[in-house]
Amino acid sequence: MSLPFHEPVPEAARLSPRLLLIDPIRVLPSLLVPLAGVLVAGGFSPRSFIWAAFGVAGSVLYAVVRWATFSYTITGGRLELSRAFIGRSTRVIPLERIRGVDVTTPFLHRLLGLAVLKLDTGAGGEKQEGELDGITVEEAERLRAVLLARHAGVTGAPGVAGQPLEQAAAAPRDHVFLRVPPAWLRYGPLSGAFLFTPFALVAGAVGLAFQWGGELGLDEDDAVAVGSWLWGHPLLLVGVAVALVVLMPFLGAAMYAVFNWNFVLFGRGDHLVAERGLINRRVVSLERRRIRGYEIAESPLERQAKVARLWAVVTGLGDSQTRGQLLPVAPRAAVGDIAAEAVGPFSEALRPHPPAARRRRLFRAIAPWLVLALVLYALGQTIIGIIATVLAVAGIALGLDRYRSLGHTYDGTRLSVRSGSLRRAQAVVERRAVVGWTIEQSWFQRRAGLVTVIAGVGAGSGGYKAIDAGETQAAAFAAEVTPEWMAPFLKR
Amino acid sequence: MRDALRDPANQVSPRARSLWFAEAVIVTALLVGGLVLLSMWMTGWEFLPQWLLDRTWVVALVLGLLMVPFVLAEPVVRFAVHRWELAADVVYARSGWLSRKWVFVPVSRIQTVDKAQGWLERFFGLATVEIRTASYAGSSTIKGLDYEVAARLAEELSRRAQELRDDAT
Repeated sequence: MSLPFHEPVPEAARLSPRLLLIDPIRVLPSLLVPLAGVLVAGGFSPRSFIWAAFGVAGSVLYAVVRWATFSYTITGGRLELSRAFIGRSTRVIPLERIRGVDVTTPFLHRLLGLAVLKLDTGAGGEKQEGELDGITVEEAERLRAVLLARHAGVTGAPGVAGQPLEQAAAAPRDHVFLRVPPAWLRYGPLSGAFLFTPFALVAGAVGLAFQWGGELGLDEDDAVAVGSWLWGHPLLLVGVAVALVVLMPFLGAAMYAVFNWNFVLFGRGDHLVAERGLINRRVVSLERRRIRGYEIAESPLERQAKVARLWAVVTGLGDSQTRGQLLPVAPRAAVGDIAAEAVGPFSEALRPHPPAARRRRLFRAIAPWLVLALVLYALGQTIIGIIATVLAVAGIALGLDRYRSLGHTYDGTRLSVRSGSLRRAQAVVERRAVVGWTIEQSWFQRRAGLVTVIAGVGAGSGGYKAIDAGETQAAAFAAEVTPEWMAPFLKR
Repeated sequence: MRDALRDPANQVSPRARSLWFAEAVIVTALLVGGLVLLSMWMTGWEFLPQWLLDRTWVVALVLGLLMVPFVLAEPVVRFAVHRWELAADVVYARSGWLSRKWVFVPVSRIQTVDKAQGWLERFFGLATVEIRTASYAGSSTIKGLDYEVAARLAEELSRRAQELRDDAT
């Protein structure tokens, strides 16, 4: 060990022993059924209790061994995670590769003052990323500061390695962009996704029943029997369906509130931090110099209520849909302010796409339902045919709205594209994030003289599309954003 | 796009036509072969009309005949469409057949350059150059290049990419 003397001798740290209180509880649900099986099969005899006790003791022992054999060290600019259980494995993560640190506190962890710290190394694959599950909240805060401070080069000054770390650990929230008022939680169900909560819960319960049913000795015949019994009581079925529909806004709102409780967006050093959640408190840090733009999404209901959602477009951020979120459903004006303040201002008006694009949007929104309706009428399925007809008529409004959504623009620093109706999304991305262009033209687009131009961006979803732009318009757009790349290939 | 963009300067190798023809023939043969197998099984499908049940091989035959114009047209059309160029440190490539695709990749943003050769390509002395950036929409695959041309292009691209490399993604 020839470490520089000024660096504190690294000591391998363990996860908090309090984790031992959680681990057995976490494995309990998966143990419950086998244990019950042992007890039932053994006729609740003393012997069966002994076997069950063995099972519980085994899981506790397993948790202890796992805890005792895992350690982590920060040394020489690297984070080492080592596990010496049956095999010996060490994962080394160079600190400069850590792009973000994500601290969450699941419910049980929170009771005991523990947290889970996840490292984002921008490697993309899940397996590449490091995780410390079960360190104290203070330790998580300290590590977050150390890991990110190293990265930002704060400890570059030699000789005082220990000190900046302490300072960084205590770094306050230097600027709170927004603390979402509780009243905004009422916008949650407008986003649509949470409205389906009741159905998701029912589906989950059914899935669980099937999974456990097999172990409790229920089989397909029983499932069929239950199904046919339900089928024989249509009033009950209708009642359940109505109840689920009525519950949609309420359960949706509750679920949304649980996830987005007390949402705070603040700056800390060179990071943007979003904190949210009632039961699981989730903290996501985004490095500001890796933020390349933002994306705003709205459903038609949200547009009516003048609210929207906001994400950051960040390079090398996996799972950017959840982690990049900067604001939950919030009033449009606030979204604009935060986007301008936290990422960068953008106010350029979008340029519309040619009228041929409107025909294409309409055709695509109406034709499939119309064809389906005609086929259904021909087959004599009038009732479903009428539903398809209604959808085809609704397609007129949808197609027109989709056309109105289309647009692209460039303000000299950032480009922007927008599309969609049920989820209208506008992306605003910095020019320097563009790594290339793709222009696509399907056979039908060629007939209409339209193309889809995609700005390749090494961040967010990877590409931002201007759908159904005119041919010349598309080439001109790419040439406007990156003239030095496109000029040699344009026709004058 | 004829009014907006000029054609990339270079054609792919003329032998690429043979490659595309061979590929189309293989795909068609597999499809028709699959349908022949299916038609043997179809004889038991009661809901089909009797005239079809008596000669289920018709389905495979019809599909095979329908494919003929496509198999003949694809290599010719592709050879006209597929073109590429490296100018002003930007790779410009066009590809497609029924649909079209134009890709512009600046050499400064290239992360990896691969030269690949499948067994059919090897048979025709052809190769594919795959250019990757941090985004799928900034990545390009140039198929049907003469092996020598592909090797030179890949070599030049990786050399230039190293010289120009800027990590501004």
